[in-house]
Amino acid sequence: MIPEPPKSPIPVLPNTMMNPVDWVVGWARANSLWPLVFGTSCCAIEMMATASSDNDWARFGLEVARASPRQADLIILAGTIVEKMGSRLITLYEQMPGPKYVIAMGACTISGGPFYYDSYSVIKGADRLIPVDVYVPGCPPRPEALLYGVMKLQELIRKGAWRNSLTHKPIYREPISDLMTKCAADWEEKEKKKQEEMKEAQERFKVENPDYKGYVIKRVVGPKFEEVAPTPRPERGLPQVELFNILLEKFPALGVYSVPEVTREKIAELGNQYVLDVVVSREDYLPLIRFLQSDERLRMNYLIELTAVDWKDHFDVIVHLLSIDKGHKIFVRCSLPHDEHPEIESLSDLYAGANWHERETYDFFGIQFKGHPDLRRMFLEDDFPGHPLRKDFVDPSRVVVRPY
Amino acid sequence: MTPLSITHPLGDWIRQQLPSPFAAIANGLIAVIAIAMLVVVTAIFLVWLERKVCARFQARLGPTRVGPFGLLQPVADAIKLLMKENIRPRTVDQLAYFLAPLLPITGSFLVLIVIPFDHNLQVLDPDAGIVYVTAVSGMGILGVLIGGWGSNNKYSLLGSMRAGAQLFSYELSMVLCMLLIVMASGTASLRNIVLSQQGTILDWWIFKLPVAGLVAFLLFIVSSTAELNRGPLDLSEAEQELTGGFHTEYTGISFSMFFLAEFVNMFAAAGLGATLFLGGFLAPQIGWHPVDQLLAFIPGFIWFAAKAYFLIFLYMWTRWTFPRLRIDHLLSLEWKFLLPASLANLLLAATLVLFKWVIP
Amino acid sequence: MIKADSKLLSTLPPGFALHDTGEDGSQEYFLNMGPQHPSTHGVLKLVVKLDGEKVVEVVPHLGFIHRAIEKMGENESFVQYIHLTDRMDYLSSHINNLCVCMAIEKAMGIGVPERGEYIRVMVSELQRIQSHLLWWGSFGMDLGAVSTFLYGFKEREKITALFEELCGARLTMNFFRPGGSNSDVPETFLPRVKEIIQDLKFALDEFDALLTKNPIIIERTRGVGILPKERAISYGCSGPVARASGVDLDVRKHSPYSVYDRFEFDVPLGKNGDCYDRYWVRMEEMRQSIRILEQASAHFPPDPYRSKEKPNYKVPAGSYFASVETARGLFCTYMVSENAMKPYRIKSRSPNFSNLSAINEMSAGGKIADLVTILSTLDIIVPDIDR
Repeated sequence: MIPEPPKSPIPVLPNTMMNPVDWVVGWARANSLWPLVFGTSCCAIEMMATASSDNDWARFGLEVARASPRQADLIILAGTIVEKMGSRLITLYEQMPGPKYVIAMGACTISGGPFYYDSYSVIKGADRLIPVDVYVPGCPPRPEALLYGVMKLQELIRKGAWRNSLTHKPIYREPISDLMTKCAADWEEKEKKKQEEMKEAQERFKVENPDYKGYVIKRVVGPKFEEVAPTPRPERGLPQVELFNILLEKFPALGVYSVPEVTREKIAELGNQYVLDVVVSREDYLPLIRFLQSDERLRMNYLIELTAVDWKDHFDVIVHLLSIDKGHKIFVRCSLPHDEHPEIESLSDLYAGANWHERETYDFFGIQFKGHPDLRRMFLEDDFPGHPLRKDFVDPSRVVVRPY
Repeated sequence: MTPLSITHPLGDWIRQQLPSPFAAIANGLIAVIAIAMLVVVTAIFLVWLERKVCARFQARLGPTRVGPFGLLQPVADAIKLLMKENIRPRTVDQLAYFLAPLLPITGSFLVLIVIPFDHNLQVLDPDAGIVYVTAVSGMGILGVLIGGWGSNNKYSLLGSMRAGAQLFSYELSMVLCMLLIVMASGTASLRNIVLSQQGTILDWWIFKLPVAGLVAFLLFIVSSTAELNRGPLDLSEAEQELTGGFHTEYTGISFSMFFLAEFVNMFAAAGLGATLFLGGFLAPQIGWHPVDQLLAFIPGFIWFAAKAYFLIFLYMWTRWTFPRLRIDHLLSLEWKFLLPASLANLLLAATLVLFKWVIP
Repeated sequence: MIKADSKLLSTLPPGFALHDTGEDGSQEYFLNMGPQHPSTHGVLKLVVKLDGEKVVEVVPHLGFIHRAIEKMGENESFVQYIHLTDRMDYLSSHINNLCVCMAIEKAMGIGVPERGEYIRVMVSELQRIQSHLLWWGSFGMDLGAVSTFLYGFKEREKITALFEELCGARLTMNFFRPGGSNSDVPETFLPRVKEIIQDLKFALDEFDALLTKNPIIIERTRGVGILPKERAISYGCSGPVARASGVDLDVRKHSPYSVYDRFEFDVPLGKNGDCYDRYWVRMEEMRQSIRILEQASAHFPPDPYRSKEKPNYKVPAGSYFASVETARGLFCTYMVSENAMKPYRIKSRSPNFSNLSAINEMSAGGKIADLVTILSTLDIIVPDIDR
């Protein structure tokens, strides 16, 4: 009934065939695994916890973590590998002298983990790039799990895999973007196969257990809680009406988001927890922000964030400002047409921090900022097709869409 | 004071058996093999010791899995490194790249030749032993410089340039400290320097010259730490800044040469420190006859090892405690503090020696 | 093999060029630090323009761990987004979760019972301490004192073990929910917090003896990487980085959330904005967090720990905003809903992103070793920057 497990690619030698030299070399390699200092995200912290006093990977001779790949024997892939990192990871792997081993630590490097669906940049499994010897599941795995993975690797090396890398799988040599395409295709194929197998199994089950009535779900009743009213927290600084008044003096055409035909009374009605969200025309955008920053009564000197929202027919660029001394906040939004590259003035002269926020917005939405000193892509490669946070961004070659 | 025999019984026996030129060759071979063995064993033991000491400082256990107390850990490392693929990056300067790892280990090998391990355990005792030591210990720097240059890697280059600047400057105060001992003992032969410290503990140069000896000892420890490239003065490696510095591009056996040399150098420097300041192979005598006899009963090479390992422990202690200095702080420490201090100390010692203000 | 040099140059800013520095033909050169480098704390890449050992210009290069969290958020429900924030700043995961929960609470008008608020405050402060402990360890390691790394971790493990008891996870917690937390704290929680406080007080004094008063540390951090107050504000720096420059911005005091207004604590402010101030601010913050923990555990209110659960989290149309103070600074969640189960757009403002943007200004003119010190005192978490 149960299919036989696939044969391991590693030639397992019987003990009698191991000559003493092989044994010694295998022993030495198993007990002297020097890891590369390499961690991309969360799992790296657990990898560091494995090195800490409580778990102490030095017991296995692993504490000689090398920063240079030339002296390392082992990469512990701690954390997600994304498209941009893929080529660098291959370079690192190639720079290591053989025999070299790879442990995939955590769900992300095994399969993409929590970032499998909907992510356009995560590589679904590092073993698509380089051969992986031991997989340690978890998100993130506990230090004990990593130590167990190391012990498993040692076992494999001692068994006769001392000759060279354990897995005889070539390194990925094509452009990474092709790999992403393959991921999506793979998924579809696997999903289809899974569905078929499920159907088969269900039918088989029905035949084998004709009197099965189905599973009754029993809900565990948790404790019941009362509803609690939220505590009102008034915003600090100038009252919103006053803020609005000051702005209206200078910019009479100002609108307020989601308050049609705005009047002062309407703002006052919204209460003291409301944060003003003004809508400004493109011409008034820069003067308004400049006014907000320089006016003595307002002094909005802190840019919290600058972002955009794609409303399918237009973009909203949203600037979120704060006054450090006075404490009031404001949202400023400016509507832009839904073009290939809509343009708006850059704030990088007013706020040094706006530089990066605008680059990020350019990267994600394709919005051009006029007068920006250095408008390059921030997170994605230069040849990345399209701007991913636009609603019309579809990249079936990269994204595996969540099926539910 | 009993006269000490200069030659080893083994050497004497060979000289009796063979005609003199062959005897000299045979003796030389034996000495070389002995030193080579010493180099390997010391290095391996020190690697283990460092890892254990560091683990204890960090509330850990250190290697435990291979052999008793993890003693075979460095053996496993050594075999693995030897069996590793030796990568030659395409852009390196071939000659420099392969020559460099040999120099540091040769340097420390040559230093060990003149160090007296016991009454009659010394390969060579040149009259100008100190000068010889200073000359050959420079080979290590040369290796680092050539290796860093030949690797054709910016990290390596930065590391080796740092090493050059650092080692050349610290050499100065180290030599001045040695000079002080030469002046006080009136000889530059290492064996005679040891013999000049006969007597009680107070006759060791660290105590015999009031203040000046102790200051010289401390200066020696600091500047030799810099010479050894060990933390907190390991700027040429500086893993957090330069990912390994001069040996970034080295793999397998070439890297293990640098690795080995680091530890043998440490042993050589500690041995030198023990010889100059702590009475070398002489047993510590406290002036109370029964205890003195007991102490003197223990062989000299054990005393030598004990003193050397005490210094090695000091090196390890500082390494695992202190943060690293910055390159300009490091150089200003030498040129603005250590060098004037050692010059002043030399002057002080000269005065003391001149007026015989030594501890009798 | 991989599109090498041409690619690299295209990612540099337009004005980036190597100049001659002397009459002897010496020239500036550039050094790639990262993506794999021990002191960039993850996969950050810095293209450093150097003149000898002197840093002329630093160009950070991001995106090596850009995982599209914001895009994923648009396809997951509001509550599901909480687990993604765990993976952004994984050393402040509780506090990040709290921020998303607060935004949802604001949108749906959910209140939190008192015990729930106290749990939130105590867990947040524990998280802040454990993050700072890890930072302290890695700060020491970046400066070459490797042992501090293990001392910091030793103390941190105690708090991690407590978190594990609390929610089963050591790093990616996913513990808070709109209206309270996923579960009540175990009975052992308060006694163990008291134990941890005792241990920490002792440990912090030890840490002071080891690093704070160490002359090498003082030499290497004083006057290094100065960020003046105006520039810190202009760059949008927050957290200990901004407070070391004298910017009085701590969301816990500035616009108090949860029940932070009930506790007495100080916001340590630096004067010079150099690395030492940043170090000192973090050390002092740990002590202040201990103060909050002491006060909170003295008046720990009884049940219930959460309010009535909503049948679903269908957030009414509009845009909502919440901000918290994580271990690294101002973390905000801005979400836009169209009266649906999933957010229309969700954006997380990460403190590290803005803090890192000041790096060129801070490190230009220093040495390479200073760059490492500055990076270390910025305490960046790269996945939080790249998201």
